[in-house]
Amino acid sequence: MTHIRPKVLLTGAGLAALVVLSAAIDQAFAHKAPHTKEQLLAFEQVFMDQVIAGDHLFHGDPATEKRLGVKLSNTGMACAMCHPYTSDTHPHEFPKYQEQMAQFATLRDMINWCIEKPNEGEKIDPDGEAMKALEAYIYYSNRNSKLDPGRH
Amino acid sequence: MNDSKSRRLDTGQCLHAPAGRSPHSATMTRRIFLHKSLYIGAAGVSAYGFFPLLNTLDIALAATGQSFKFAWISDTHLYPKDVNTRFVEKTVRAIKETQAMNPPADFLIFGGDLAQLGDPVELQLGAELLKEVTIKKVYIPGEHDWYLDMGATWNKMFGESPWSFDHKGVRFIGLDTVSRAPDFWTSRKMTPKERMGHMATLDGTLGGAWAAIGTQQLKWLTDKLTDWPKDAPVVVFSHNPLYEYYPPWNFWVRDWREVQEVLKPYTDVTNIHGHTHQVLYNEIGKLRSIGMLATSWPWPYAPEGVPVLTQPMIRADPGDHFDGVGWSELALTAAGNVDNQYKMWRKDVFAAAPVDRGTEDNRNQVLSPRVADRL
Repeated sequence: MTHIRPKVLLTGAGLAALVVLSAAIDQAFAHKAPHTKEQLLAFEQVFMDQVIAGDHLFHGDPATEKRLGVKLSNTGMACAMCHPYTSDTHPHEFPKYQEQMAQFATLRDMINWCIEKPNEGEKIDPDGEAMKALEAYIYYSNRNSKLDPGRH
Repeated sequence: MNDSKSRRLDTGQCLHAPAGRSPHSATMTRRIFLHKSLYIGAAGVSAYGFFPLLNTLDIALAATGQSFKFAWISDTHLYPKDVNTRFVEKTVRAIKETQAMNPPADFLIFGGDLAQLGDPVELQLGAELLKEVTIKKVYIPGEHDWYLDMGATWNKMFGESPWSFDHKGVRFIGLDTVSRAPDFWTSRKMTPKERMGHMATLDGTLGGAWAAIGTQQLKWLTDKLTDWPKDAPVVVFSHNPLYEYYPPWNFWVRDWREVQEVLKPYTDVTNIHGHTHQVLYNEIGKLRSIGMLATSWPWPYAPEGVPVLTQPMIRADPGDHFDGVGWSELALTAAGNVDNQYKMWRKDVFAAAPVDRGTEDNRNQVLSPRVADRL
């Protein structure tokens, strides 16, 4: 049996650690590399796809509801009927105490409350695709609003 | 008990009020809205007890010594009963309260958007419900009544617009502000249902500036007023407001300047309009405009353009279908002014609280138009 000398073993382990560490450092600082134009466009596309899906859901599009497996209303009402341009959804004011729910609430809580109560629809997964899309559309439509959490 | 503990207890009582409603909302006091020309130098609102709640007009002309009332109901947005009965219930309530007016109103004006999607089933349902009102009824269309079959069913059931009649010294005029949308559907090969769907979306962009009076109707209006004394009262009913409030939601008619020119020589003109589903008041020159409540749901105030003369309505509770909606009662005073009483269900009409006031709530809100329906 060949004996590996402790010095060689130590050197090998050190080199391996260095390789692992350098890979980790590369990963950790990857976002510091400048984005290409193509990357930025791709990021925007991912976001806008969500905005558009959210817009369709917000305006009661049955095809988008079916695709995402949700039923946001059973009354014929759509979110946009009370909130044209997402007016009065106030995403910039959440989280806050929401008196209809009598609890401290996030925007996602409020979205689900509106689905369940005024729309008489079926509550959606707070981390699901439909919720992310609705949130994207609401935030996008309210971009440039002043962030003011807790405000009524 | 120290101050801090006392404050926390107060907060607890406030937050855990029954049904999550503020103690203020439980008072159900009501207000009378006097338009600006009446309340200069006086209190603009006064207390008003429990009353049946509708939009009515109370006319009292010193010149003739006659007085009368009439009622306004609009924006019922009826769906077929198998979709929902929420809007049916509120329409029925407004109708019953109109019918119960004592002394009775001389007539009811229905101000458009009887249906949600122009479906003959919806329009027929509306006609059935309105049969309960036995006084004279006159109608003007809304866009929700029109764009499934371009007004064919509406005109057949409720008659064509424009129209006019004289009643106890007042010339009443009903306009059609909805039938002149630019054709966005033919080139896109849309079905009638698709066209109606776009027109039924307030923040949709394809319909563009659809609200208008149009050249022919402007001429009709000019002719209709030619024989009318310049200082005699004129009341003009329209679905859309006859001034520029917020064009992206057609809270206007695109030819409002021309309308104003036609009406300018007349010193006592009041426009009463629907479509905006909110408390609104404006004056341009001698023309007063009063926006009516919907029975269906309240719209938020537009991001800009709310007339400075408007005293904003109270914030509605979205969990209460009967909040922020109703009808109206108006009176023509001896001075020839129209005095409107909003018959709003559930709460105070006006945002009068010193720390939580109507449109001021939205001072941090910046809104952007949609993109999805233009793709």
